[in-house]
Amino acid sequence: MGDMTVSAPLTSAVFAILLSLAAGERHGYAMMKDARSPEGGGVEMGPGTLYGTLERLMRDGLVVEADTSDNERRRYYRLTDKGRGQLEAELARLDSALAGARLRGLLPTGGRL
Amino acid sequence: MNTPSTLHRSIEKLYASALCLYPMQFRACYAEAMLQTLRDALEDSAIPKARLMPTLLLDLIQSLIKENLAVIADIFARSALLFNALILAALSTVLALGLHWIPQQVLRMNANDPQVELAGNAAVRLEHGAPARELVPADSVDIAASLSPFMAIYDEQGKMLASSAQLDGKAVAPPAGVFAYARQHGEERLTWAPRGDVRIASILRHVDDANGGFVLAGRNMCEIEAREDLTLKMAGLLWLAMIGIVAVGTLIFGWMTQPPKAHPSVA
Repeated sequence: MGDMTVSAPLTSAVFAILLSLAAGERHGYAMMKDARSPEGGGVEMGPGTLYGTLERLMRDGLVVEADTSDNERRRYYRLTDKGRGQLEAELARLDSALAGARLRGLLPTGGRL
Repeated sequence: MNTPSTLHRSIEKLYASALCLYPMQFRACYAEAMLQTLRDALEDSAIPKARLMPTLLLDLIQSLIKENLAVIADIFARSALLFNALILAALSTVLALGLHWIPQQVLRMNANDPQVELAGNAAVRLEHGAPARELVPADSVDIAASLSPFMAIYDEQGKMLASSAQLDGKAVAPPAGVFAYARQHGEERLTWAPRGDVRIASILRHVDDANGGFVLAGRNMCEIEAREDLTLKMAGLLWLAMIGIVAVGTLIFGWMTQPPKAHPSVA
Protein backbone atom coordinates (compact mmCIF):
# COMPACT_ATOMS: atom_id res chain seq x y z
CA MET A 1 0.00 0.00 0.00
CA GLY A 2 2.94 2.30 0.71
CA ASP A 3 4.39 1.69 -2.78
CA MET A 4 3.70 4.38 -5.29
CA THR A 5 2.71 3.00 -8.67
CA VAL A 6 4.37 4.40 -11.79
CA SER A 7 1.14 5.89 -13.07
CA ALA A 8 0.25 7.73 -9.85
CA PRO A 9 0.89 11.48 -9.92
CA LEU A 10 3.62 12.40 -7.45
CA THR A 11 3.16 14.93 -4.68
CA SER A 12 4.96 18.22 -5.19
CA ALA A 13 7.53 17.39 -2.48
CA VAL A 14 8.27 13.94 -3.92
CA PHE A 15 8.56 15.33 -7.44
CA ALA A 16 10.88 18.13 -6.32
CA ILE A 17 13.14 15.75 -4.40
CA LEU A 18 13.35 13.22 -7.23
CA LEU A 19 14.02 16.03 -9.71
CA SER A 20 16.78 17.41 -7.51
CA LEU A 21 18.40 13.99 -7.09
CA ALA A 22 18.20 13.34 -10.85
CA ALA A 23 21.20 15.66 -11.20
CA GLY A 24 23.27 13.58 -8.79
CA GLU A 25 23.79 13.02 -5.09
CA ARG A 26 22.49 15.79 -2.89
CA HIS A 27 22.38 16.59 0.80
CA GLY A 28 19.27 17.88 2.56
CA TYR A 29 19.74 21.60 2.16
CA ALA A 30 20.81 21.27 -1.50
CA MET A 31 17.53 19.46 -2.20
CA MET A 32 15.54 22.14 -0.34
CA LYS A 33 17.27 24.83 -2.34
CA ASP A 34 16.74 23.05 -5.67
CA ALA A 35 13.07 22.49 -4.83
CA ARG A 36 12.57 26.18 -4.06
CA SER A 37 13.80 27.28 -7.49
CA PRO A 38 11.24 27.54 -10.32
CA GLU A 39 13.14 24.91 -12.30
CA GLY A 40 13.04 22.58 -9.33
CA GLY A 41 9.30 22.75 -8.90
CA GLY A 42 8.99 25.94 -6.84
CA VAL A 43 8.24 23.95 -3.68
CA GLU A 44 8.86 25.58 -0.31
CA MET A 45 9.66 22.86 2.19
CA GLY A 46 11.43 22.62 5.49
CA PRO A 47 13.57 19.87 7.00
CA GLY A 48 10.57 18.04 8.48
CA THR A 49 8.80 17.57 5.15
CA LEU A 50 12.11 16.86 3.42
CA TYR A 51 13.26 14.05 5.72
CA GLY A 52 9.76 12.65 6.18
CA THR A 53 9.42 12.40 2.40
CA LEU A 54 12.94 10.95 2.05
CA GLU A 55 12.03 8.33 4.66
CA ARG A 56 9.05 7.19 2.58
CA LEU A 57 11.02 7.35 -0.67
CA MET A 58 13.71 5.13 0.87
CA ARG A 59 11.10 2.72 2.18
CA ASP A 60 9.63 2.49 -1.34
CA GLY A 61 13.08 1.97 -2.84
CA LEU A 62 13.12 5.17 -4.91
CA VAL A 63 16.01 6.79 -3.04
CA VAL A 64 18.98 5.46 -1.10
CA GLU A 65 21.39 7.11 1.25
CA ALA A 66 24.81 7.53 -0.28
CA ASP A 67 28.07 7.11 1.57
CA THR A 68 29.34 10.51 0.44
CA SER A 69 30.03 12.82 3.36
CA ASP A 70 31.72 16.20 3.74
CA ASN A 71 30.32 16.65 7.21
CA GLU A 72 29.41 14.05 9.80
CA ARG A 73 25.92 15.50 10.16
CA ARG A 74 25.24 16.18 6.49
CA ARG A 75 23.70 13.16 4.78
CA TYR A 76 23.64 12.58 1.03
CA TYR A 77 21.04 10.75 -0.99
CA ARG A 78 20.78 9.48 -4.52
CA LEU A 79 18.10 8.13 -6.88
CA THR A 80 17.71 4.42 -7.52
CA ASP A 81 16.79 3.07 -10.96
CA LYS A 82 13.24 2.68 -9.69
CA GLY A 83 13.23 6.29 -8.53
CA ARG A 84 14.54 7.48 -11.89
CA GLY A 85 11.81 5.45 -13.63
CA GLN A 86 9.20 7.05 -11.39
CA LEU A 87 10.52 10.52 -12.16
CA GLU A 88 10.59 9.83 -15.90
CA ALA A 89 7.01 8.57 -15.78
CA GLU A 90 5.93 11.73 -13.94
CA LEU A 91 7.80 13.95 -16.41
CA ALA A 92 6.15 12.10 -19.30
CA ARG A 93 2.76 12.61 -17.66
CA LEU A 94 3.42 16.33 -17.19
CA ASP A 95 4.77 16.56 -20.75
CA SER A 96 1.55 15.05 -22.10
CA ALA A 97 -0.47 17.49 -20.03
CA LEU A 98 1.61 20.40 -21.34
CA ALA A 99 1.25 19.17 -24.92
CA GLY A 100 -2.53 19.03 -24.41
CA ALA A 101 -2.50 22.54 -22.97
CA ARG A 102 -0.53 23.81 -25.97
CA LEU A 103 -2.99 22.17 -28.36
CA ARG A 104 -5.79 24.05 -26.62
CA GLY A 105 -3.85 27.29 -26.94
CA LEU A 106 -3.35 27.62 -23.21
CA LEU A 107 0.45 27.80 -23.58
CA PRO A 108 2.59 29.31 -26.33
CA THR A 109 3.86 26.68 -28.82
CA GLY A 110 7.45 25.73 -28.06
CA GLY A 111 7.17 26.32 -24.35
CA ARG A 112 8.88 28.94 -22.26
CA LEU A 113 11.83 30.73 -23.84
CA MET B 1 19.80 43.47 19.02
CA ASN B 2 21.00 39.93 18.34
CA THR B 3 23.97 39.39 16.10
CA PRO B 4 23.21 36.93 13.27
CA SER B 5 25.16 34.13 14.93
CA THR B 6 23.36 34.61 18.25
CA LEU B 7 20.03 34.68 16.43
CA HIS B 8 20.96 31.55 14.50
CA ARG B 9 21.95 29.79 17.68
CA SER B 10 18.64 30.73 19.29
CA ILE B 11 16.68 29.46 16.29
CA GLU B 12 18.72 26.25 16.27
CA LYS B 13 18.10 25.76 19.97
CA LEU B 14 14.37 26.27 19.58
CA TYR B 15 14.28 23.95 16.58
CA ALA B 16 16.29 21.30 18.45
CA SER B 17 13.73 21.48 21.27
CA ALA B 18 10.87 21.11 18.79
CA LEU B 19 12.54 18.02 17.33
CA CYS B 20 11.76 16.22 20.60
CA LEU B 21 8.13 16.19 19.49
CA TYR B 22 8.89 13.91 16.54
CA PRO B 23 8.51 10.14 16.99
CA MET B 24 11.54 8.57 18.69
CA GLN B 25 12.77 6.56 15.72
CA PHE B 26 12.32 9.41 13.27
CA ARG B 27 14.25 11.65 15.64
CA ALA B 28 17.01 9.09 16.04
CA CYS B 29 17.36 8.78 12.26
CA TYR B 30 17.03 12.40 11.15
CA ALA B 31 17.37 14.90 14.01
CA GLU B 32 21.04 15.63 13.36
CA ALA B 33 20.53 15.85 9.60
CA MET B 34 17.51 18.14 10.08
CA LEU B 35 19.49 20.44 12.36
CA GLN B 36 22.32 20.51 9.84
CA THR B 37 19.87 21.36 7.06
CA LEU B 38 18.51 24.21 9.17
CA ARG B 39 22.06 25.39 9.88
CA ASP B 40 22.83 25.36 6.16
CA ALA B 41 19.64 27.31 5.44
CA LEU B 42 20.41 29.90 8.13
CA GLU B 43 23.93 30.37 6.80
CA ASP B 44 22.72 30.85 3.24
CA SER B 45 22.53 34.61 2.83
CA ALA B 46 20.57 34.17 -0.42
CA ILE B 47 17.46 33.24 1.57
CA PRO B 48 15.81 36.07 3.51
CA LYS B 49 15.19 34.94 7.09
CA ALA B 50 11.79 36.62 7.03
CA ARG B 51 10.81 34.13 4.32
CA LEU B 52 12.52 31.14 5.89
CA MET B 53 10.92 31.42 9.33
CA PRO B 54 7.24 31.04 8.28
CA THR B 55 8.22 28.13 5.99
CA LEU B 56 10.09 26.51 8.85
CA LEU B 57 7.22 26.93 11.31
CA LEU B 58 4.56 25.66 8.92
CA ASP B 59 6.76 22.74 7.93
CA LEU B 60 7.36 21.89 11.57
CA ILE B 61 3.63 21.81 12.36
CA GLN B 62 2.67 19.83 9.25
CA SER B 63 5.48 17.30 9.49
CA LEU B 64 5.01 16.78 13.24
CA ILE B 65 1.38 15.88 12.64
CA LYS B 66 2.23 13.72 9.63
CA GLU B 67 5.08 11.77 11.25
CA ASN B 68 3.21 11.15 14.51
CA LEU B 69 0.11 10.01 12.61
CA ALA B 70 2.33 7.73 10.49
CA VAL B 71 3.66 6.08 13.67
CA ILE B 72 0.12 5.59 15.00
CA ALA B 73 -0.91 4.08 11.65
CA ASP B 74 2.17 1.80 11.73
CA ILE B 75 1.34 0.65 15.25
CA PHE B 76 -2.25 -0.20 14.38
CA ALA B 77 -1.11 -1.88 11.16
CA ARG B 78 0.76 -4.47 13.27
CA SER B 79 -1.75 -7.30 13.22
CA ALA B 80 -0.85 -8.77 16.64
CA LEU B 81 -1.22 -5.38 18.33
CA LEU B 82 -4.43 -4.60 16.47
CA PHE B 83 -5.84 -8.04 17.32
CA ASN B 84 -5.03 -7.57 21.03
CA ALA B 85 -6.52 -4.08 21.00
CA LEU B 86 -9.71 -5.34 19.34
CA ILE B 87 -10.03 -8.21 21.84
CA LEU B 88 -9.57 -5.81 24.76
CA ALA B 89 -12.04 -3.37 23.20
CA ALA B 90 -14.57 -6.19 22.76
CA LEU B 91 -14.09 -7.31 26.39
CA SER B 92 -14.52 -3.71 27.54
CA THR B 93 -17.73 -3.44 25.53
CA VAL B 94 -19.13 -6.68 26.97
CA LEU B 95 -18.17 -5.59 30.48
CA ALA B 96 -19.79 -2.17 30.05
CA LEU B 97 -22.94 -3.71 28.58
CA GLY B 98 -23.07 -6.14 31.51
CA LEU B 99 -22.60 -3.30 33.98
CA HIS B 100 -25.59 -1.61 32.42
CA TRP B 101 -27.76 -4.68 31.87
CA ILE B 102 -27.40 -6.37 35.29
CA PRO B 103 -28.35 -3.32 37.43
CA GLN B 104 -31.13 -2.55 34.93
CA GLN B 105 -32.61 -6.02 35.42
CA VAL B 106 -32.28 -5.78 39.22
CA LEU B 107 -34.00 -2.38 39.17
CA ARG B 108 -36.78 -3.71 36.94
CA MET B 109 -37.34 -6.74 39.17
CA ASN B 110 -37.32 -4.67 42.34
CA ALA B 111 -39.76 -2.25 40.73
CA ASN B 112 -42.42 -4.98 40.82
CA ASP B 113 -41.94 -6.06 44.46
CA PRO B 114 -44.59 -3.80 46.11
CA GLN B 115 -47.10 -4.57 43.34
CA VAL B 116 -46.56 -8.34 43.67
CA GLU B 117 -47.23 -8.11 47.38
CA LEU B 118 -50.28 -5.85 46.99
CA ALA B 119 -51.89 -7.90 44.22
CA GLY B 120 -51.16 -11.20 45.97
CA ASN B 121 -52.67 -10.09 49.29
CA ALA B 122 -55.73 -8.54 47.62
CA ALA B 123 -56.37 -11.65 45.48
CA VAL B 124 -56.24 -13.88 48.57
CA ARG B 125 -58.66 -11.63 50.44
CA LEU B 126 -61.03 -11.53 47.46
CA GLU B 127 -60.93 -15.32 47.35
CA HIS B 128 -61.98 -15.27 51.02
CA GLY B 129 -64.96 -13.11 50.18
CA ALA B 130 -63.77 -9.59 51.06
CA PRO B 131 -65.62 -6.89 49.05
CA ALA B 132 -63.57 -5.12 46.38
CA ARG B 133 -64.21 -1.60 47.72
CA GLU B 134 -62.74 -2.50 51.13
CA LEU B 135 -59.49 -3.68 49.62
CA VAL B 136 -58.75 -0.59 47.55
CA PRO B 137 -57.25 2.35 49.52
CA ALA B 138 -59.64 5.23 49.89
CA ASP B 139 -57.05 7.86 48.85
CA SER B 140 -56.62 7.99 45.09
CA VAL B 141 -53.15 8.10 43.56
CA ASP B 142 -52.30 10.46 40.69
CA ILE B 143 -50.21 7.98 38.75
CA ALA B 144 -48.55 10.70 36.66
CA ALA B 145 -47.13 12.49 39.70
CA SER B 146 -46.96 9.97 42.56
CA LEU B 147 -44.52 7.12 43.05
CA SER B 148 -46.94 5.32 45.42
CA PRO B 149 -48.33 1.96 44.34
CA PHE B 150 -51.99 1.91 43.32
CA MET B 151 -54.53 -0.87 43.02
CA ALA B 152 -57.61 -1.59 40.89
CA ILE B 153 -60.02 -4.49 40.95
CA TYR B 154 -61.94 -5.77 37.92
CA ASP B 155 -64.63 -8.39 37.49
CA GLU B 156 -64.17 -11.49 35.35
CA GLN B 157 -65.21 -9.53 32.23
CA GLY B 158 -62.64 -6.82 32.89
CA LYS B 159 -65.12 -4.20 34.15
CA MET B 160 -63.64 -1.99 36.86
CA LEU B 161 -65.13 -2.49 40.36
CA ALA B 162 -62.82 -0.23 42.37
CA SER B 163 -59.61 1.71 41.73
CA SER B 164 -57.25 4.03 43.59
CA ALA B 165 -55.50 5.12 40.34
CA GLN B 166 -56.28 8.42 38.66
CA LEU B 167 -54.80 9.98 35.56
CA ASP B 168 -56.01 13.40 34.48
CA GLY B 169 -58.96 12.94 36.88
CA LYS B 170 -60.08 9.62 35.37
CA ALA B 171 -59.63 5.96 36.31
CA VAL B 172 -57.16 4.01 34.20
CA ALA B 173 -57.40 0.54 32.67
CA PRO B 174 -54.64 -1.70 31.34
CA PRO B 175 -54.58 -2.85 27.69
CA ALA B 176 -57.55 -5.16 27.04
CA GLY B 177 -55.60 -8.21 25.90
CA VAL B 178 -53.86 -8.67 29.24
CA PHE B 179 -57.01 -9.93 30.97
CA ALA B 180 -57.22 -12.98 28.72
CA TYR B 181 -53.53 -13.74 29.32
CA ALA B 182 -53.87 -13.38 33.11
CA ARG B 183 -57.01 -15.56 33.09
CA GLN B 184 -55.06 -18.28 31.27
CA HIS B 185 -51.74 -18.02 33.14
CA GLY B 186 -52.77 -16.75 36.57
CA GLU B 187 -50.96 -13.43 36.30
CA GLU B 188 -49.34 -11.04 33.89
CA ARG B 189 -46.48 -8.64 34.58
CA LEU B 190 -46.52 -5.73 32.22
CA THR B 191 -45.15 -2.27 31.63
CA TRP B 192 -47.59 0.00 29.87
CA ALA B 193 -48.09 3.67 29.13
CA PRO B 194 -51.58 5.05 29.83
CA ARG B 195 -50.24 8.40 28.58
CA GLY B 196 -47.20 9.11 26.41
CA ASP B 197 -45.10 10.40 29.32
CA VAL B 198 -46.35 7.99 32.00
CA ARG B 199 -45.05 4.43 32.18
CA ILE B 200 -46.42 1.99 34.71
CA ALA B 201 -44.84 -1.22 36.04
CA SER B 202 -47.75 -3.44 37.04
CA ILE B 203 -48.95 -6.92 37.82
CA LEU B 204 -52.41 -8.21 36.93
CA ARG B 205 -53.46 -11.19 39.02
CA HIS B 206 -56.45 -13.43 38.34
CA VAL B 207 -58.67 -14.26 41.31
CA ASP B 208 -59.19 -18.01 41.54
CA ASP B 209 -62.64 -18.34 42.99
CA ALA B 210 -66.15 -18.96 41.65
CA ASN B 211 -66.68 -15.26 40.76
CA GLY B 212 -63.27 -14.76 39.23
CA GLY B 213 -61.97 -11.22 38.67
CA PHE B 214 -58.64 -9.47 38.51
CA VAL B 215 -56.41 -7.39 40.77
CA LEU B 216 -54.16 -4.82 39.16
CA ALA B 217 -51.34 -3.29 41.21
CA GLY B 218 -48.90 -0.85 39.67
CA ARG B 219 -46.72 2.22 40.12
CA ASN B 220 -45.08 4.94 38.09
CA MET B 221 -41.67 3.92 36.73
CA CYS B 222 -40.13 7.39 36.43
CA GLU B 223 -37.77 6.90 39.38
CA ILE B 224 -36.72 3.46 38.15
CA GLU B 225 -36.16 4.85 34.65
CA ALA B 226 -34.11 7.73 36.06
CA ARG B 227 -31.90 5.17 37.83
CA GLU B 228 -31.66 3.13 34.63
CA ASP B 229 -30.57 6.26 32.75
CA LEU B 230 -27.95 6.85 35.42
CA THR B 231 -26.56 3.30 35.09
CA LEU B 232 -26.53 3.73 31.30
CA LYS B 233 -24.52 6.96 31.62
CA MET B 234 -22.13 5.38 34.13
CA ALA B 235 -21.66 2.31 31.93
CA GLY B 236 -21.12 4.60 28.91
CA LEU B 237 -18.48 6.63 30.73
CA LEU B 238 -16.81 3.45 31.95
CA TRP B 239 -16.79 2.09 28.39
CA LEU B 240 -15.23 5.30 27.05
CA ALA B 241 -12.58 5.19 29.78
CA MET B 242 -11.77 1.52 29.08
CA ILE B 243 -11.58 2.10 25.31
CA GLY B 244 -9.33 5.11 25.96
CA ILE B 245 -7.05 3.04 28.19
CA VAL B 246 -6.89 0.27 25.56
CA ALA B 247 -6.06 2.78 22.80
CA VAL B 248 -3.43 4.64 24.83
CA GLY B 249 -1.97 1.40 26.21
CA THR B 250 -1.72 -0.05 22.70
CA LEU B 251 -0.03 3.11 21.44
CA ILE B 252 2.47 3.17 24.32
CA PHE B 253 3.23 -0.53 23.96
CA GLY B 254 3.50 -0.16 20.18
CA TRP B 255 5.82 2.81 20.59
CA MET B 256 8.04 0.89 23.00
CA THR B 257 8.24 -2.17 20.78
CA GLN B 258 8.68 -0.57 17.37
CA PRO B 259 10.87 -2.68 15.13
CA PRO B 260 14.10 -0.88 14.13
CA LYS B 261 14.06 0.84 10.75
CA ALA B 262 16.47 -0.39 8.12
CA HIS B 263 17.10 1.71 5.04
CA PRO B 264 19.15 0.64 2.06
CA SER B 265 22.32 2.62 1.61
CA VAL B 266 25.03 2.49 -0.97
CA ALA B 267 28.26 1.13 0.42
